[in-house]
Amino acid sequence: MATIEFPAEQRVDRLERQWQSKPGVLGWLTTTDHKRIGILYFWTTLVLFGIGGTEAMLMRTQLIEPNNHVLGPASYDRVFTLHGITMIFFFIIPMTTGAFGNYLVPLMIGARDMAFPRMNMLSYWVFLGSGIFLYLGLASGNGPNGAWFGFTPLTLRLFDPSRGADFYALALIFNGIASSLTSSNLIVTMFKLRAPGMSFNRLPTFCYAFLAAAFGLLFALPALSADCIYLFLDRNHGTHFFDPSKGGSNLLWQHLFWFFGHPEVYILIVPAFGIATAIIPAFTQRKIVAYPLVAIAELLVVFIGFGVWAHHMFVVGMPTISVVFFAAATAMVVIPSAIQVFSWCMSLITGMPRFRTPLLFIAGFIWMFVNGGLTGIMFVAVPFDQQVHDTYFVIAHFHYIIFGAAVFPIFGGMYYWFPKLTGKLYFERPGQICFWVIFAGTNLLFFPMYIVGLLGMPRQIYTYSSGMGWDAYNAAESAGAYLTALGIVLLFANLVVSYFKGEPAGPDPWNAPTLEWATSSPPPDFNFAVIPTVSSAYPNWDAEDRERDARKLADGVMVLEEGHEQPVSTTVDGRFAEVIEMPHSSPWPLVLGVCIALVFGALVIGHYGIAGIFGVLCLLSLFGWHWKEPQES
Amino acid sequence: MTDYAAPRTSRARTPVEVSRLAAQRLGLPAGWWGMLMLIASEGTLMGCFLATYWYLRIRAPHWPPDGIPEPRVVVPMTLAGVLLLTSVPMHLASRAVRAGRLAATRWFLLIALLVQTGYFAYEVDDFGNQLRSFQPARDAYASIYYTLLGADHGHVLIGMLLNVWLLLKLSTGLTMYRLNATVAIAWYWHFVNVLTVVVIGSLTSVHVV
Repeated sequence: MATIEFPAEQRVDRLERQWQSKPGVLGWLTTTDHKRIGILYFWTTLVLFGIGGTEAMLMRTQLIEPNNHVLGPASYDRVFTLHGITMIFFFIIPMTTGAFGNYLVPLMIGARDMAFPRMNMLSYWVFLGSGIFLYLGLASGNGPNGAWFGFTPLTLRLFDPSRGADFYALALIFNGIASSLTSSNLIVTMFKLRAPGMSFNRLPTFCYAFLAAAFGLLFALPALSADCIYLFLDRNHGTHFFDPSKGGSNLLWQHLFWFFGHPEVYILIVPAFGIATAIIPAFTQRKIVAYPLVAIAELLVVFIGFGVWAHHMFVVGMPTISVVFFAAATAMVVIPSAIQVFSWCMSLITGMPRFRTPLLFIAGFIWMFVNGGLTGIMFVAVPFDQQVHDTYFVIAHFHYIIFGAAVFPIFGGMYYWFPKLTGKLYFERPGQICFWVIFAGTNLLFFPMYIVGLLGMPRQIYTYSSGMGWDAYNAAESAGAYLTALGIVLLFANLVVSYFKGEPAGPDPWNAPTLEWATSSPPPDFNFAVIPTVSSAYPNWDAEDRERDARKLADGVMVLEEGHEQPVSTTVDGRFAEVIEMPHSSPWPLVLGVCIALVFGALVIGHYGIAGIFGVLCLLSLFGWHWKEPQES
Repeated sequence: MTDYAAPRTSRARTPVEVSRLAAQRLGLPAGWWGMLMLIASEGTLMGCFLATYWYLRIRAPHWPPDGIPEPRVVVPMTLAGVLLLTSVPMHLASRAVRAGRLAATRWFLLIALLVQTGYFAYEVDDFGNQLRSFQPARDAYASIYYTLLGADHGHVLIGMLLNVWLLLKLSTGLTMYRLNATVAIAWYWHFVNVLTVVVIGSLTSVHVV
């Protein structure tokens, strides 16, 4: 920005005036800036990660030795249930789609905001409300205790007379609204707001991964919502969806839950693929191997994920033909997964890898993913699946995937994009040490679970007797858990210290290929002074294009500073189609979010009239929201 | 090659200008895509309700269970057909708005809204009458029957509220924002209308299948 001449400076000033948020707390409450919303998501999910992690520590402390009594059976049930719900719905999904997706996708596609900025803010308030709602349930003695999959009949009123399962059902519907809003927003943003020239074959693989996750959420969440609606009705209004004596079926719960639940697993992991494909080119200084195949594979993983749900149900007595179909469909997931593993490995081998902290986390992720993936394939052998069903072998498998493979890239991504968010460099050596501590801790935590699972230790038991041959493994797992926790604390401590004491990073410390590195660190409110024009999938390596963009500023070409303006492109080939006015900051998302929260609050205590009143207030706030059009504000 | 002279569509103020710029722009607006996302999500939710209905039905020895009257066919299906016909004025409204014909747009929307309101009023009354005959808590059939039917009626109500809002907005003139909204809401109604035919068709098909 130092070389900007007078007219260009004036243009940048105008852009700043157009795009800046209101000052102070009010600015954060009413913002529509995708970066601020991403940061809000980040901190909120981090708090929830801390809560979910504490629950994990409680479990591992309870299981560190036989016949332990840190937690009683009832508390243990609540703790493992909330651990699962929190980590899946309140950490990984909002951290990936809400924090990483919100902050990075518009920057990567050369946009100034998400397609629906106010809806974006609404999604955050709804997400926050759903998290508070769930934990208010726990605080009021109504924590859910039927595991994250909440199987009926265990969660019906007969077996759970508390309001725990009501909080569970409503919290998941509530949270699902937030995720659906975010995923719709991500899809439309990537379809319509890509910079001119960014045709679909130039969309970064990171964005393809988030597109896949968003489509997955959009089509998977309604099944969970339907299930939770039935559960709430069965528990509170005497309906019989899950009552076999009245024509209902408990397997209905499982079919709908896993129709959501298995795509969900891929929804959790696919953003990690995206983060990996963003980090690998930056630290190998080469293009990702087989870009089109990787992009297709990311979408295909989620697509195939919709046809495999019943592999969670091999022990419920389905017909053999169904079992074989779902086993075969599950085996197909290997193909897109293997394509990606080969691409990451070949990119590392044929590039010049610099194993800085982010790439170390990606290397660790590849190990975790292959490990968890190979044990996942073993479940395709149906007799094996039936043997280890509900044992710690399954726990080990999916923690290698959704902690090792899904969360390692999140940590790597935090380090990779830390300079972009803060404008500071993190401290490298402590970062690398953190990686090794977490890597060692995670393997010590989860690998013995395979063995103890094969030895027959069932999941979800609050304690065990000595003499089963499980003691040493459990002690090792708990030691691994503490080590992992220590590593994670150090990891964040390093980032905090780096924030205050780190060297200035400059706009692009990694010579990375995507557009977020083409703007200053941290990015200005308007993201790009000149909307970039794109001619490849690695736009920040196209030096001529970027120089041409810089020259456009003085001429006022593609600056669009006359209003709160955003260019819109054609969906497939990214041709510059129109310039639209974007909404400014607005109080209505907060008002609507509060009204929605009050609807759920009234529902869970059974005051339907009050819920109706707040429902009407929701509608009125929607009328208020749309009263002033973007170009009028 | 990139053309740097794409229209600033939000700036259009008069119906003629809105219509001209709408014709100039390439591709469908983001608002339409947003509506498609809503339809995808809602369609999947209703698909899950329908799947539940058929899942429970094919496993049941008697459908409807003994003691519950078989649903009527002729009146509900005829009414669903009438509702489906409102896609015509909704489509015409969306064509008229793109041509900048504001008055015609409002008339088409009003005609559609009147028919939709008539449909909804009858269905709410009928829903109440059926509730007096058998309750959702009777058995699984009754539970899914009322859930499916109630959810469909809920979609009709939301569509009516959208049309009321649209008519209010269009009463003060035409902007690109309102044009996009008209096109998107017309699509919402096509979805609701097809959904209603499928839902009512499923619920009344006990005579046929």
